[in-house]
Amino acid sequence: MNMSMSRVSILSVLTLILGVGIMTFVTSSSLLAMFTQAVVYAISALGVGFLLRQNGLVSFGHALFFGAAGYGMGVILQLEWMSAEAAIFAVLGGLAVMGFLMGLVIVRVPGIAFGMLTLAIGQMAYLLATRATGMTGGTDGMSVAWPNEVFGFSQSVLLKPAVLFMIAWVLMVVVTYILLWVIRTRFGAITEAIRDNEERARFIGITTTVPRSLIFAISGVVTGIAGLLSSFNTGFVSPENLHWSVSAITLLMVVVGGFKRPVGPIVGAIVYFLFKDLLGEYATHSNAIFGAALIAVIVFSPDGITGAIERAFKGKKPAGAAHQPISH
Amino acid sequence: MLTINLFNGLVYGALLIVMSSGLALIYGLRRVVNFAHGALYMLGAYLGYTVAIHSNFWVALVAAPAIMAVVGVLLDRYGFRLLQDREPLNVMLVTFGLLLILEDLVVAIWGKGNYSIFTPELLNFSVNLFGHDLPAYRIAVLFMGIAVAVGLTLWLRLSRIGLFVRAASTEPVTTSMQGVNTDVLSAGVVGLGSALAGLAGVVAGPFLSLSPHMSSDVLIDSFVVVVIGGLGSLAGAFIAAILLGMMQALGAVYLPGVSVLLPFLFMIAVLIWRPSGLMGSRT
Repeated sequence: MNMSMSRVSILSVLTLILGVGIMTFVTSSSLLAMFTQAVVYAISALGVGFLLRQNGLVSFGHALFFGAAGYGMGVILQLEWMSAEAAIFAVLGGLAVMGFLMGLVIVRVPGIAFGMLTLAIGQMAYLLATRATGMTGGTDGMSVAWPNEVFGFSQSVLLKPAVLFMIAWVLMVVVTYILLWVIRTRFGAITEAIRDNEERARFIGITTTVPRSLIFAISGVVTGIAGLLSSFNTGFVSPENLHWSVSAITLLMVVVGGFKRPVGPIVGAIVYFLFKDLLGEYATHSNAIFGAALIAVIVFSPDGITGAIERAFKGKKPAGAAHQPISH
Repeated sequence: MLTINLFNGLVYGALLIVMSSGLALIYGLRRVVNFAHGALYMLGAYLGYTVAIHSNFWVALVAAPAIMAVVGVLLDRYGFRLLQDREPLNVMLVTFGLLLILEDLVVAIWGKGNYSIFTPELLNFSVNLFGHDLPAYRIAVLFMGIAVAVGLTLWLRLSRIGLFVRAASTEPVTTSMQGVNTDVLSAGVVGLGSALAGLAGVVAGPFLSLSPHMSSDVLIDSFVVVVIGGLGSLAGAFIAAILLGMMQALGAVYLPGVSVLLPFLFMIAVLIWRPSGLMGSRT
């Protein structure tokens, strides 16, 4: 059912070329900034979608990882503990450890309570960030003091809209590639077996908590990458990044895009931002419109846009049809 | 200071009892985690506000829950009932979409400002208890919470419909085979749960202000309560609600820095110890 890794590689290269095309031919910097934001959210949604696809667990608290990445980076850079390059890996490593330890506790909670639990933990982090004055600045947030040079490139180059877009795009493709690879490994198969029937998996001798916690950690790191990108883009992090509405919007993208396909979240994020741009003046009621869209998608196509497309193509293209939308 | 805090903790616990018993009832019958519950609470509060302005608090106290009951019945008939064969996850996300719509609806009608429902004249005085002046209104809220808890328990344990509700919560198919119309029953229970959310909203009006944020604040606390208590367990929800109120009260006195975190830390501790909550059945 899954296409082979070589086909994934070809599609990834094509997607990269598409990114170069967008970077070259889209000259409006506001449009590029919007695309960049969409791609950042797409990465964030990839993390949430990966958790849902591999573990069958819905997270309402992934803003925790999104915001914690920004705060972690901000604090390390402010205290000048290490170079920015090292800090990036330290933050992602820290998120991985945090995600794994959290996972050990919370993945054992039955599916539905898991959503409520992640919501509560995420909101706890939000409250903590608003209350904690001092370096992190409470409700005002803190600036993330990226140095003038990162990986040998000067900030003025990296922050050009086209370059920033390309960085985000490449990261998105790389993350997708890695996730698609993980799904195809033995580890990926084990987690799917646990997702489909935890008891059965235990009976055939698979330990279930550790693989599920690892998935949770990976998904947190992916969302953390988006948080780092966002902090680089804006140079700023605030409790708003941790608020549960961030988690909720990300989850909305995942569901609308379709979580059965690993690339569904990307489709969802792109559709979300296109819609948001189109709605423009109705933006004050965008939440209601997205809420209605969410309900419509779940009622009429529970596997999202990618699922609907896949069904439309069924017969003609049985395998991998849902990967088409990525090259829109 | 401590007495006042403990008292306020109990009052908030009573409010959470009303909120979370609605959540637990709906979960019990429909296996739906109702994210829209916070929005129903908010809608109840704002409706109560408008009714209270045009007539008085007591009319609002009856009217808002009544309107929310109708909303709840419709929600079950045209929402949960049609989606009952879907995965619980999907239905949960539908209620989440509903939350987004209802929150926007409230902002569209009432705006983003903060409101407050005036304390009714009848209860606008203080009672001296244990050497402190305690507002009579809050004492009344406390008693209302107890009345809801006792009333629901007696109803479920002693009445015939209560028996049906308990039966349908554990074995919906068998119950309907025995001739109980579970669809009507569910509509009634979702209506009751929504009415309780509306009641909580009106009652909270005079001492927690009405704002667009009110739904998520209470929703998250109610979720913590039902998760600690065990999903679908009423008794668990009652205990957890009071514990949570107490914890916030005592936390504010002894651990002011981390008092907002206590409920979450307690929830995490409970879930490590018992993944299905204090009174939840292991499934």
